[in-house]
Amino acid sequence: MPVYDRGYTHWEPTGGRAYPAWWVIAKRGIAEPLKKRWLLVLTLAAWIPAIIKAVMIYFKLQAGDIAELLVGNYASIDAAGFLSFMEVQRFFVFVLLAIVGAGLISTDRRDNGLSLYFSRPLGLASYIGGKAAIIMFFYAMVTLFPVYGLCLYAYNIAPDASGLELLFLIPLRATVYWLISGASISLVLLAFSSLGKRSVFVMVWWTIMVMGTETIGTIGKSLLQNDAFEALNFLGNYHNAAAGLFSSGPRLDVSPWVSLVVLLAWTFAAVLVLRKQIRPVEVVS
Amino acid sequence: MEGLVIKVNRSENGTDFGITVSNLDFAYAKDPVLKGVDFHLDKGAVGLLGPNGSGKTTLLRCLLGQVPLKSGQVSVLGWDMANRARIARTGLGWMPETGGIIPDMSGVAVVAYMGELSGMPARDAMQRAHEVLHYVGLGDERYRPCDKYSQGMKQRLKLAQALVHDPEWVFLDEPTSGLDPRGRISILELIKDLAKNKGLGVILSTHLLADVESVCQEILVLRDGVLMTQQHVDAGAREPRQVFEVEGFGNDEAFLAGLNALGAEVTRDKRLMLVTLDLTTVSGAATDSGFDTGAGVKAILGVATNTDYALRRLRRRPVTLAEEFYRMVEA
Repeated sequence: MPVYDRGYTHWEPTGGRAYPAWWVIAKRGIAEPLKKRWLLVLTLAAWIPAIIKAVMIYFKLQAGDIAELLVGNYASIDAAGFLSFMEVQRFFVFVLLAIVGAGLISTDRRDNGLSLYFSRPLGLASYIGGKAAIIMFFYAMVTLFPVYGLCLYAYNIAPDASGLELLFLIPLRATVYWLISGASISLVLLAFSSLGKRSVFVMVWWTIMVMGTETIGTIGKSLLQNDAFEALNFLGNYHNAAAGLFSSGPRLDVSPWVSLVVLLAWTFAAVLVLRKQIRPVEVVS
Repeated sequence: MEGLVIKVNRSENGTDFGITVSNLDFAYAKDPVLKGVDFHLDKGAVGLLGPNGSGKTTLLRCLLGQVPLKSGQVSVLGWDMANRARIARTGLGWMPETGGIIPDMSGVAVVAYMGELSGMPARDAMQRAHEVLHYVGLGDERYRPCDKYSQGMKQRLKLAQALVHDPEWVFLDEPTSGLDPRGRISILELIKDLAKNKGLGVILSTHLLADVESVCQEILVLRDGVLMTQQHVDAGAREPRQVFEVEGFGNDEAFLAGLNALGAEVTRDKRLMLVTLDLTTVSGAATDSGFDTGAGVKAILGVATNTDYALRRLRRRPVTLAEEFYRMVEA
């Protein structure tokens, strides 16, 4: 009998597999933005630095030490070189995550969507986990996946490349870095998203968080001759804290441990904000 | 197999599909909203009535386990909502009064998404989404972005997402809010069909008493967070004191004397007589479930026959839910 003739029928499960709620949220949250062509173009544009690095790696292999003088360690295929690459990607991280992440919770708050989500059998952890997974996917698109691609490319064209290093250790370090930094960045961005009901305000706060803290850190260090200001640099702290993981020198003029403590504080604050803000009921005083 | 599991294990013991609330107190910060609420509901259509701010929506949120329960007990489908709310919600549908749609998605995508979040396999959820959207009358509009829907369509979409996982109970918060009369009747017909023909439990929270009268068999009335009454929707018809409208011509004095002999009180409004009769004094009126108003009609008819009074109208004056409601909340 055609669907439109059946009226209301009771659901008879077919025995298919049901996925956990966080996966359902993440799947939909990743698929919807990718339907927008301009966002897909932006995501692909984020691979341009990777293509440039690939060209530089090739150029360095052909021209040797002269090329080293011209391109610096950007063409390096050791762990530190890949950390530098992810540092360069911070502009795309900032822009793409702002576009994808700003509305993730604010839109649900604006449209009373939280009430719908929490009328289903899912808890706070599943909801936040699903939303964080969306941010982490796009974060991986501009950091982790290009690193995987470059490692594979470098292994194929560099005659003295170490397979252990390029096919295992560097991808592993990059994955660990992506997991930890991605989880922290996602929670902070989601906390901002949960504070408002309009995405545009969340974007403003995110801009202040990323660009503002970097600017204050740089100006504070230059004018007041105090390196401690660099600890304010939000995204810079992630690269600085990861220096040890990538066998690199510090990226800021503060200890990586200081950066780590600052980031832990931000992440902890974000968790507190999320626990307070995400409720199925809006309490109006 | 998980879809099968969530469908089968909805009631904790497999037999309890009711709702029991015991001594429930709830407060937002320090503002008490519900005070000592107690009731039990078996599956059916229940109207939740009360003035603004009486705690109707909060009570529904307690039944959904959306707010932390600190005092009292709420059991839905046999599950204790203080700590097993997530399991219980596999068998509950919720239609919020405001918002409750997810923009940038088509109607069918929203409903399927909600089905998947309820634990349905993706394929089942999509198939059910098509079915329930046809059922609520959005079959032709299901591929349109839902933020472009009219108010009536949004209400139907919200009803569809509440039904997609085939819940045991649906909680509807002001489902006819903002609808034109035609849309309102249409939504009420759907709700009535769900409750009467499809075996779903429905709690209908609304300000519109006529909506409750047309759909529900039972009502809960809240005032200032206190449950004033839980009763059958036409409980007034079972009360011992009934008012009958009588109109006719003949010997008025003899007819009135006959009514007085029955113990009736009579007031006149031009030609219309309002006869208040205590059915406890009428033989054969008392039944197991209340009082038979037919016996009162027969008694008045007997007086009219004996006094040669020609009746043009004789009927029990319908006690509307509105009259009952205002009597309760203003008491």
